[in-house]
Amino acid sequence: MALVTVGIADLKVSKDPEDTLVTYSLGACIGLAVYDPVVKVGGLLHYMLPDSSINKEKAATHPAMFANKGIPLLFKQCYSLGADKQRLIIKVAGASQIMDNAGAFNIGKRNYAILRKMFWKNNIRIAGEDIGGNVNRTMYMEIRDGKINLKVSKKGMIEL
Amino acid sequence: MSLMEEIIAAVDDMPPFPQVVQRAMQALADPEYEVVGLVDILKVDQAITASILKLCNSAYFGLPRKVSSLREAVVYLGANQLRQLLLSGAASKIFEKPNAGYTVFADELWRHALATAVMAQVLRQSRRLNINENTLFTAALLHDVGKVVLSNFVADKYRDIEKMVEGGESSFQEAEKKVLGFDHADIGGKIAEKWEFPQSIITAIAFHHEPARAAKEFRVLTELVALSNNLAVMVGYGTGVDGLACRGHGLLLKKLKITDQGMEELVMLFQLEMAKTCEVAGVDED
Ligand SMILES: [Fe+2]
Ligand SMILES: [Fe+2]
Repeated sequence: MALVTVGIADLKVSKDPEDTLVTYSLGACIGLAVYDPVVKVGGLLHYMLPDSSINKEKAATHPAMFANKGIPLLFKQCYSLGADKQRLIIKVAGASQIMDNAGAFNIGKRNYAILRKMFWKNNIRIAGEDIGGNVNRTMYMEIRDGKINLKVSKKGMIEL
Repeated sequence: MSLMEEIIAAVDDMPPFPQVVQRAMQALADPEYEVVGLVDILKVDQAITASILKLCNSAYFGLPRKVSSLREAVVYLGANQLRQLLLSGAASKIFEKPNAGYTVFADELWRHALATAVMAQVLRQSRRLNINENTLFTAALLHDVGKVVLSNFVADKYRDIEKMVEGGESSFQEAEKKVLGFDHADIGGKIAEKWEFPQSIITAIAFHHEPARAAKEFRVLTELVALSNNLAVMVGYGTGVDGLACRGHGLLLKKLKITDQGMEELVMLFQLEMAKTCEVAGVDED
């Protein structure tokens, strides 16, 4: 069994049934997991920011940092391993926030909003999600069966 | 002994902050520092000399030939890298101690310390703030040092703190205060005092969750540490135990005129810089 780490602002795809993809320390960031149960291809993205228009250069060198670049890239890489859009099971976690009544530290909210917007435009349905709160999350994906486990601070392990 | 007395005793037992590093920081604080003087300070410590040469000769820099003189390495690395290397080297020894109360979080505590220091640097540079870089980096790096000591004592009270945080009303620091009567920032201030740090750093550590309480002359520094802590935690470089249960100081964003887009730029710059710093400090970024 190989534990494959998806770093911050990073994405990985796999079709090796022995692999577990994992991404740590999701705060305001979002972990997006997509899985095709027929060909058993899965991918995991850990993006930090909603939109790469703040820096075109970094968008090219660090696409997985941004939702608008990283999400299409994740789907594309899964397709290239044989995944089919119609079969993809999509799960989402993250977008936490610190305790701030005025909502000034709102990157998590905006990370989630852009994802919803992109999915809505492209007719993509979310099968499961664990979003928001003042928690930190670690997200695991089993390539064997697409199972998503979350380790959530204060709550422990949950299956998504 | 009361819990507070026990903790004060533990603070007294803490190893000193390395003199060599403190003296090197003083030298580096002068933008026109003398290389010779700095080398004289550093060369008495063999471990530090070795770590400087090791970094300089690492694959990260990919120098065409081996550097074997401390003088040459100091010139090559420059103030910024030296500061990061020296401070993170000294601080990592303090943070690495496994701590019972907040078990398994020693790594995360250290990662959080580095992330906060990097965030502070990025904030300072991008907003062109006129504040001493050594002081800011040191205060940000050590702001949660109180957790190292406190965690050894709160094992039994820890569940109470955790429950209170789970309730959703209190931040971790507020819960500490309610359960124990004091918090990790109070203890951090005591440790900084013991280390004979300048008052500015003591203040920034002691009030990093309540910057409005800092003395006026140290307010800006304290606010920067508070904001850097907020941003580092938001991005996910928290301390593990407390998740994101940290009170945000949104007013500080306004004060520095940081818009939503400005905050996104900061996060981006932070992430790029953090990758480099982890390399220099020999830390696993994830
Ligand atoms: Fe703190
Ligand atoms: Fe902190």
